[in-house]
Amino acid sequence: MDALIEKLKGQIIEQLNLAEVKPEEINPDSPLFGDGLGLDSIDALELIVLLEKHYGIKIQDPKDGKTIFQSLRTMAEYIKSQGKS
Amino acid sequence: MIKAYINGTGCISPQNSIDSDWFFESINPAKGDYFDAIEPSYKEFIAPNLLRRMGRAIKMGVAAGNIAIQQADAKKVDAIITGTGLGCFEDSERFLLAILNNDEQFLTPTSFIQSTHNTVGSQIALIMKCHDYNFTYVHRGFSFESTLQDAMMLFEEGKETVLVGGVEEHTPNFVLLNRRAKKFQEASSTPIWKSTSEGIQMSEGTAFFVLNKTKTEKSLASVDGIQTVYNPKTSADILNKLHAFLKLHNLTLVDIDVTLMGFSDDVNFDEKLKEVLPSIEKESVAACYKHICGEYHTATAFAMWTAVKLIEKQKLPRVLAISDKTPSKIKHVLIINQYLGINYSFTLLSQC
Amino acid sequence: MSQRVYITGLGMISAIGNNVPESFLSLSQSKTGIGKINYLSTRYKDEFLAGEIKLSDEALVDLVQDNNSALNRNSYIAMLAAKEAVINSGIDTNDGLRTGVISSTTVAGMSKTELYYKEMFEKDDHLNVLDTHDCGDSTERIADYIGNVDYVTTISTACSSAANAIMLGCRMIKHGQLDRVVVGGVDALSKFTFNGFNTLMILDREWCKPFDENRKGLNLGEGAAFVVIEGENALNLRKGKPLAEVVGYANANDAYHQTASSPEGYGATLAIQQALKMSGLSTSQIDYINMHGTGTPNNDLSESFATKAVFGNQVPKFSSTKSFTGHTLAAAASIEAVISVLSLQHNMIFPNLNFTTPILETGLVPETSLVHTPLNTILSNSFGFGGNCSSLIFKKA
Repeated sequence: MDALIEKLKGQIIEQLNLAEVKPEEINPDSPLFGDGLGLDSIDALELIVLLEKHYGIKIQDPKDGKTIFQSLRTMAEYIKSQGKS
Repeated sequence: MIKAYINGTGCISPQNSIDSDWFFESINPAKGDYFDAIEPSYKEFIAPNLLRRMGRAIKMGVAAGNIAIQQADAKKVDAIITGTGLGCFEDSERFLLAILNNDEQFLTPTSFIQSTHNTVGSQIALIMKCHDYNFTYVHRGFSFESTLQDAMMLFEEGKETVLVGGVEEHTPNFVLLNRRAKKFQEASSTPIWKSTSEGIQMSEGTAFFVLNKTKTEKSLASVDGIQTVYNPKTSADILNKLHAFLKLHNLTLVDIDVTLMGFSDDVNFDEKLKEVLPSIEKESVAACYKHICGEYHTATAFAMWTAVKLIEKQKLPRVLAISDKTPSKIKHVLIINQYLGINYSFTLLSQC
Repeated sequence: MSQRVYITGLGMISAIGNNVPESFLSLSQSKTGIGKINYLSTRYKDEFLAGEIKLSDEALVDLVQDNNSALNRNSYIAMLAAKEAVINSGIDTNDGLRTGVISSTTVAGMSKTELYYKEMFEKDDHLNVLDTHDCGDSTERIADYIGNVDYVTTISTACSSAANAIMLGCRMIKHGQLDRVVVGGVDALSKFTFNGFNTLMILDREWCKPFDENRKGLNLGEGAAFVVIEGENALNLRKGKPLAEVVGYANANDAYHQTASSPEGYGATLAIQQALKMSGLSTSQIDYINMHGTGTPNNDLSESFATKAVFGNQVPKFSSTKSFTGHTLAAAASIEAVISVLSLQHNMIFPNLNFTTPILETGLVPETSLVHTPLNTILSNSFGFGGNCSSLIFKKA
């Protein structure tokens, strides 16, 4: 799980062009949206594509992103649960 | 007649115009057949969480708008009006290539969202929390001119402060394709107004202006009038319209201390301006600007920034002058721009 | 300075017809133009629906009868709709009065650029496509097609574009700069916009259901619509006949998010309120609202809240005709202006198709079948990316 979280950090920084953010600054349990990393609805759509591109997971309803993208850990758990890590 | 007082300017161009003290010293030549804008470090103008998504046109426009607002010390603006011929081409191209290269798969929304032509104006509104009038004009060589026409009408309708600007970006691919289409030629030692061959030096850049309905101690100059002329048949048509335009402002060509002319180095596009030139030289002092800013849809914005500088410094730099004539004073500056030999415009500025 | 401004000619091409009479027939028969994708080349053509104009590029060439080879779908449909409007109005652009063309578009020549872009790097054959890529091209093609045009400009404010073109035209007449203007918008369907909206995940795979609790998103459409607007002085001079009067318009910005509308519809509320104020009409004097109503969860909720904020519990009859045409982006507001004038002329409200369940939070119910009722005033909303919100008010002439 930790290896997957580390991998996700790099992928998120790249996909969202977070040049100012260092991987070690992202807490796996803090919220990705709002107060935590400060991501917004456009980033959520970017993350959906990230899952499709790197893990072959397709999300049809953007509303599902809300639970999956709560934190890095929930995202990693979701990928595991889909058997795609 | 309504005037628009210019209270602040911000300009990013192939020259060092971002430095407010720069006055046409040490000119950067074209990079062969094109110019690149000299961009500042954007961090001091734009927050990192916004910057990460912005293409160059957006960054340039937002930064120049910011500089103009700072200079004018404007707490708020009543309207934001942007002109851009090509818009956010970098993002359009990025999204288009992603579609074509990946057979419409794995596409992400950011470049599509940012590709929309009104992104510059709406980002400025978002940053300033400006809920007022917001327009984006996208008509070739009239894109910036339309922002001025609109601002003048808004003043008559009661608005007090308006931000206007023109912005253009190019990409390596766009330069490449236009070069293949033989739209460019290398800059040469032949003066731009004497060109006998086809091709321009493509360029990019931005200039924003805070315009005020009433004069304040910040006012640098005024825009007294703006008119566009679509597809005139002959140079006589242009001159007739120009005389009528000046008459509207109780002026004749003799009153115009400097006339900035939009020669583009393309013999075809410049043909009518070349025929107009003797009339201008006879009564005014002719100058040009596209040999230092290059050619793009909103080059008039750079010319207007130049006009403000000339009025401020009361001096015509030799690098802009077409002849040896020197203006004794600079009270009125006229810009005659042309784009592709189809879009012509007159912009009149005055000392205030 | 203020003279009154009238609409005196209509022109329109979209999924529901190639001209105004065909469009009226589809509207009055509740016949949507949205269906299976036939002309756009996309790998998703069997997955999504769209409101396509039922003509190939070749068929459009025949209709336009113009020898300029450097044209694209955007220009063809713009020229057809603008010409129809000019003929319908009966104006003569050769009579010495000042005529303008103010058009609007979001992706301009992209439908052609995307076909040849990669090829252009290898071969010279299609490099002239570059000349027709920009937004100004179709406007100048319209101007040259109509002839004797003194003024041209083009606006691009995403999905509110044509509303702003209409607004600018009215202002230029009121300021005495032009006597009459051909105003409107155009957007041909392209892979670019289709995939763009798909990445935003706001396309419905079935027919869009504006204002329905279970709405999933929009259907993209394509089209062009233009109206001729004339100042009363020019109209009186030629003893022309007005079809409707433009009595209110406003442009405001939501300044909330680059693509999404604020939950409470702040910018939309401002635009509606300011347009009403200009018209001098009270909220109870608006007979019908032609909504922006794209069918996306975000827009319809936000617009519903804005409507309630302005009209309280007395919300006028309303519908979204995007259930007929699809969302035609820059053309949407001018298509809906033409539809609004048809509503005024025929005293008919065209239905909001595919609606069954009201939105939980607002409970607003649109008109779901053709309504015959006296109509004197119509409010038409158009909102777009970048927070651009515009509202127009038309009155029976």
